[in-house]
Amino acid sequence: MKRRIPAGLLLGALVAVGIAVGIAACGGSGSGKPTGSGSVRSLTGAGSTLVAPLVSEWTAPYQQQAGVEITYGAIGSGAGIESIVGRTVDFAASDAPLTASQATVCKGCLEIPWALSATLVAYNVKGVPSGLRFTGQVLAGIWTGRITTWSDPRIRKLNPGVKLPDTRIVPVHRTDGSGDTYAFTSYLSQSSAAFKSEIGSATSVSWPGGIGGNGNSGVGGVLASTNGSIAYMAIAYVFENNFDYGLVENAAGKFPTPGIRSIAAAAAMLTTVPTSGTSGISLVDPPASEPAAYPLATFSYVLVPTASTTAAGTALKRFISWAVTAGQRYGPDLDFAPLPAAVVSADQQILRKVR
Amino acid sequence: MTTSTPTPEVSGRDRNPFLARTKLADKLGERGLRICTFLAALLAVALVVWIVCKLVHSAWPAIDRFGLAFVVHRVWDPVTGQFGALPFLYGTALSSLLALLVATPVAIAIAIYLTELAPSFLRKPVAMLVELLAAIPSVILGLWGILVLGPFLGNHLEPFLKSFLGWLPLFSGTPSPYGMLNASIILTIMVLPIITSVTREVFQTTPVADKEGALALGATRWEMIKLVVLPQARPGLVGAVMLGLGRAIGEAIAVTQVIGNAAQIKASLFASGGTAAAQIASDFPSANPGVWQASLIYLAVILLVFSALANIAARLIVRHGTVR
Amino acid sequence: MATAPPEANVLLRKTAGTRRRRAVSRAVDVVCTVAALAAVAVLLLVIASVAVKGAPALSLRLLTENPKVSPFGGNTGGIANSIVGSVILVVIASVIAVPMGVMVAIYTTEFAPPKVATGIRFALDILTGIPTIVIGVFIFSVLVVGAHQSGWAGAIALAIVELPVVARSDQEVLALVPRALHEAGVALGLKRWRIVLRVILPTAAGGLITGAVLGVARVAGETAPLIFTTSVFSNLGLTTNPSAALPNIPVTILSLSESPSPKDHAQAWAAALVLIVFVLLLSVTARAVHERSRAKLRG
Repeated sequence: MKRRIPAGLLLGALVAVGIAVGIAACGGSGSGKPTGSGSVRSLTGAGSTLVAPLVSEWTAPYQQQAGVEITYGAIGSGAGIESIVGRTVDFAASDAPLTASQATVCKGCLEIPWALSATLVAYNVKGVPSGLRFTGQVLAGIWTGRITTWSDPRIRKLNPGVKLPDTRIVPVHRTDGSGDTYAFTSYLSQSSAAFKSEIGSATSVSWPGGIGGNGNSGVGGVLASTNGSIAYMAIAYVFENNFDYGLVENAAGKFPTPGIRSIAAAAAMLTTVPTSGTSGISLVDPPASEPAAYPLATFSYVLVPTASTTAAGTALKRFISWAVTAGQRYGPDLDFAPLPAAVVSADQQILRKVR
Repeated sequence: MTTSTPTPEVSGRDRNPFLARTKLADKLGERGLRICTFLAALLAVALVVWIVCKLVHSAWPAIDRFGLAFVVHRVWDPVTGQFGALPFLYGTALSSLLALLVATPVAIAIAIYLTELAPSFLRKPVAMLVELLAAIPSVILGLWGILVLGPFLGNHLEPFLKSFLGWLPLFSGTPSPYGMLNASIILTIMVLPIITSVTREVFQTTPVADKEGALALGATRWEMIKLVVLPQARPGLVGAVMLGLGRAIGEAIAVTQVIGNAAQIKASLFASGGTAAAQIASDFPSANPGVWQASLIYLAVILLVFSALANIAARLIVRHGTVR
Repeated sequence: MATAPPEANVLLRKTAGTRRRRAVSRAVDVVCTVAALAAVAVLLLVIASVAVKGAPALSLRLLTENPKVSPFGGNTGGIANSIVGSVILVVIASVIAVPMGVMVAIYTTEFAPPKVATGIRFALDILTGIPTIVIGVFIFSVLVVGAHQSGWAGAIALAIVELPVVARSDQEVLALVPRALHEAGVALGLKRWRIVLRVILPTAAGGLITGAVLGVARVAGETAPLIFTTSVFSNLGLTTNPSAALPNIPVTILSLSESPSPKDHAQAWAAALVLIVFVLLLSVTARAVHERSRAKLRG
């Protein structure tokens, strides 16, 4: 008769494994979340992919400085907002300000602008150089499906002297709730009444066709592999992946080169910052008085509850305070313009409300 | 000789060390095992009920608002709060049906090979290799779909199809690495092993006498298969296809990686689209609790119902249809 | 179907039609062989892609170092934290699902009245059929809402996927144990529970282990249950505490696969290679042992 494995041995082995896992789990190092009193050693946040490179850059120096580990999930502004509403994270990052209904549901969330960047129009077409000029109308036409080929006369009119192939345009959009979508659709809604009525502006809209990508990274992936594609993407990702990008017309009729200077010019129009903190400061399509302003600049906000349930409140205050002051110097390398002084002081004021 | 229910009075029992246990241990053990296993089974059943109830409950705001018209509305718009499942149900149906259309004949052919044609030393290895297709994690198939299949489709196969068959609406449109064709191929690879293994099992239950009888009467191998094996395998085949269908409609990750995620209904296979499962995967984290999230969970409920039906139908058909 | 088909008389005469019929049959032979070869070829193609593209990026460093993540997620370190996290998730899931699966199987084969057993099998069928993304949504609404993402949530979601796989395999195995063993136990005066624990289970042990291995192979690569429950994780170091979101290989592969950077793609292939080798080895072993133990039990 063959050897029999005693049932007791099997059960015992299973129990032993379970205990081993339990010990490893409870005694293990890493980002455990201590509840209640005691200093908080880690903060979890989620949201905007636009600001993700900057937050990622902040983790190492901040851990050295304050001993707090920042875990950040770049899941998109929309998902970030949902996370903080559900309080499944300590803070959220969104490039889109909270809508009125979101603010109500969030029950006392503060919206603090902590980064300043922009959305670009990037494209990947064989035979077309970087630096094509677009107007809001043309872009709206592309994404509503009215302009279907790169050689369309409306694009050619803006770019005389550039040889444009007959390739079909493939507009790429974000599938996740995105602050870049919000900024881009705000601009397009202001440029085109048809776009405003057909699609509207929000973190998630109903795009007619095209291809969807998940996050700025996913959109980049689609862009890189699809000839003829055009997408709206955060500036840091465009530069990092060396995508061709277009020049977008601002209200003054100019086509400023996207970069820290044109972004800062867009922010320079801010004279006062609302301290209530929930209305957001839109930089999209700044008025013609700023000829050097890039029309798709956007603030990125950190969303924190006024009263955190754990001891995270103090830690959050320190972190955000550091982010809007010392943290800003990591920005320019990643194409984030420094926050205007008015915004920084307004932020510090708002932060006082955090418990 | 001891009786089957030992009593304390029987002396032989006390002398046999193997049976020298106390009555208490027996009572506890019997009751304990019964209770533990019963609780486990109860928990399993309760889990199913809980999942269904919780999902229907969470989907209720959407079910209430849209009712059954949800499945025919075309618009999925978070801005206006209008949610309709039609583009995703269309995508699910199209990609799954295409996958089944391709996978079923191939699966039958492979099953015929494995049961009739293959030399006996090849049978087990080839069968195992086909089943290993099912073991490939879907995220890896999706990775392969994006980085290997996608460029092949976008740069070679789709332009080729368009140049020869472009007059068909199926192959009109712009070749693209993402889209319905890519997703359908991935799904075909996923359902093929499932249909093959069930079909093979069903073929193996054909009474040998019938097969030999046909051959003895002069039928060629193909005629024997056509006249003897296939007819009695029909219910099993239907079951196999149902199982494959259940698998195909529920796949979210690999599909969302390659299908392009656009809520549109296009005839062309080159166009991007969406399926219900893929839409849940891409939209759910951003959906605010309310009509939007409830609509996504409504999609999940629809998926749940159909894949549960497919699985149950498959089990019933296969169980009743095969001669064991 | 025992009656001869009406064409039987015709079949006995060798005519030109015979040659045609034979040709058709041979053509079918070829088609079927090609189909089988094609299926094997597709499998080998996928595995070869993973191996060829993953091997260059695969190194001891990749397997043992934690990520050194640059701002855009580009990783110049390794994926050790994802490997460890995946192992923890799968172990927790299996500790939940395997004993429970064994117990459900014991109940349906030993104790349950026939109608109840059918009902339980019915419930398990439904459970198998639930798309894994739906299970992810369910666990999200039960365990993550009101709390936060955690390894526990992810592991429990995996356990729900694993349970019916293990239970069904175990049911099959237990049903194959010869009745004679039961009867022998009864004849020896053993109570049911002793028969099950000391006779049936040890005899079926090989098959039960196979069931567990099949379950592990099934969930090791699952992504959908994890994307809502344990996808926001720290990439700074090893996370072993399941009350935080655990890094894991499937979610890592998913996000790397969608990136535009070829370096990310190389890492994705390498991680995929690790995962696919693990899953395929488990599957092959499970099936081989399964065949052997089934043959042994049948007699």
